[in-house]
Amino acid sequence: MTARKKKKMNLSRKLLYIFSYLFIAAWLIPIVWMFITSITPRGEAVTIISELFTPPFTWANYEYVLENAMIGRWTFNSFFVASITTILTLILTSLAAFALSRLKFVGRNLIFWLIIAGLMVPIEAMIVPLFQIMIELNLVNTYSALILPNLAMPLGVFLLKQFYDGVPNELMEAAKMDGAGLLRIYWNIFLPLSRSSMAALGIFTFIMSWNDFLWPFLAVNSEAMFTLPVAIPTFQSSFSSELMIPMAVNTLASVPAIIVFILFQKHIIQGIAMTGIK
Amino acid sequence: MKDLFSKKGDHLAAYLFLAPFLIIYGMFMVYPIIKGMKISLSEWKFGLDPEFVGLKNYKTMLSDGYFWEALGNTLYFVLISTPVLIILGLIVALIVNSGLKGTVFLRAGFFLPFILSISVMASIWVFIFQPYTGLLNSILHNLGVEQEIFWLNEPNLAWMSILIATVWWTLGFNMVLFLAGLQEIPKEHYEAAKIDGAGPVRTFFSITLPSLKNVIVLIVVLQTINSFKLFGQPYLMTEGGPGTSTRPLVQYIYEKGFVEQDMGVASAMSYVLFAITIIVAIIQFKFFTGKQD
Repeated sequence: MTARKKKKMNLSRKLLYIFSYLFIAAWLIPIVWMFITSITPRGEAVTIISELFTPPFTWANYEYVLENAMIGRWTFNSFFVASITTILTLILTSLAAFALSRLKFVGRNLIFWLIIAGLMVPIEAMIVPLFQIMIELNLVNTYSALILPNLAMPLGVFLLKQFYDGVPNELMEAAKMDGAGLLRIYWNIFLPLSRSSMAALGIFTFIMSWNDFLWPFLAVNSEAMFTLPVAIPTFQSSFSSELMIPMAVNTLASVPAIIVFILFQKHIIQGIAMTGIK
Repeated sequence: MKDLFSKKGDHLAAYLFLAPFLIIYGMFMVYPIIKGMKISLSEWKFGLDPEFVGLKNYKTMLSDGYFWEALGNTLYFVLISTPVLIILGLIVALIVNSGLKGTVFLRAGFFLPFILSISVMASIWVFIFQPYTGLLNSILHNLGVEQEIFWLNEPNLAWMSILIATVWWTLGFNMVLFLAGLQEIPKEHYEAAKIDGAGPVRTFFSITLPSLKNVIVLIVVLQTINSFKLFGQPYLMTEGGPGTSTRPLVQYIYEKGFVEQDMGVASAMSYVLFAITIIVAIIQFKFFTGKQD
């Protein structure tokens, strides 16, 4: 490689660096701005950027929010609903996927295609009948109403079945020879093997449930049952002119998710990539 | 291969494994679809008994200008959001995959907004777009733009604001899918291209892009279906306004069914959304898989 060419490569590399870091800086501004605004004293103007990074800063907005909003309860609701949804989804979909992948029975193809067809049904198109069903079952404003409709996740069955299809048959035969029952085979062989697929599906389910807006917005109506996405706009609507309080709410609501994200970011990103590609 | 599981007991076992999922699936997926069909054929106000009216709700829907506007709005969003989210998603994935220092930081940074709740995301952007106190106009002010721009109060700008917020929020997800696709491409292909003297542009078009075909199909389909479901961003950022100019179909379904409590027409519109989602998904799959060979 000639020196000239090398120099040119270095230049394009440098430009790539500059472009990438400017891009990411711009990308993160909204989050930084959210935080800076949340620690600005109430009543101050925050319109001019140069003044944005100048103290005094204060935690008073956070104290106000913690005293006046049920932020702890809403965060708990969001975590509880997302966790239970994730755990139950993993159990239900892996059991179904195991049967569809490894067992022969009448109606197998029919059931599989029925589930796959569900991939294309948006919950947004079912809100009216779903809500009617919740009224009939007397579940409106309960955790069950928030959790149950999200468990019927065809994507999970599809992804896990694909994974189970790739498990060598010999493993199953050997276990059968040893006299293991189907439940043992599922529990001792298939579940441990699919750990990373399960983790991916679990992360995916958790984020989806954590961010779900339309259904929780319809399914619960008392403040104590709100999840964060429903509670935040309701609480913030009384602070249209003072953005410090809404931004303190936003920061508080994001901190648990951001901590989880920082701790598991490698797994989260790899996990989602796996669900998409496999 | 010996068939290990053809005994009668295994049929039973299979149904037992499937039962928990199928019960939930039946109750909250299959049954609502059937029930929705029934509601769409009935006149049904809250608190009254449903009354069968045949296709009347569908006729009402088709002669309702707001329905067509809402449907048009949703289609418009699909058309403007899909290309941006795909092209930008690929660009960001390429940046993150190019072996720069600090890749982990870049990857995490671009993905971070996706974990924010939609309400947090919308609230941040509503305040950024405020005409007098917002960050964006303040930046533009410093750059010499004298006039205040009313981002959320003019239809075209309101759509652009919704698009910007959506791209910022969801781009990380597409980036991750592209990243997975990029990492599947064998290194030898790039080495071969280098030996042949191909520059970065040619390498991109003759190796990278063709290898990503399957990922692109997946992202296009997922992205389109997702965009058809648009509700939260306009509902939280513009309330569908100014007027009804950014009201998408899902918001109109919600308003018809839950605010006006005209569940028959709301269900009829749900079926339109349902049908379009399925048709578009099938066409895209056919188009892309047909092109492959």
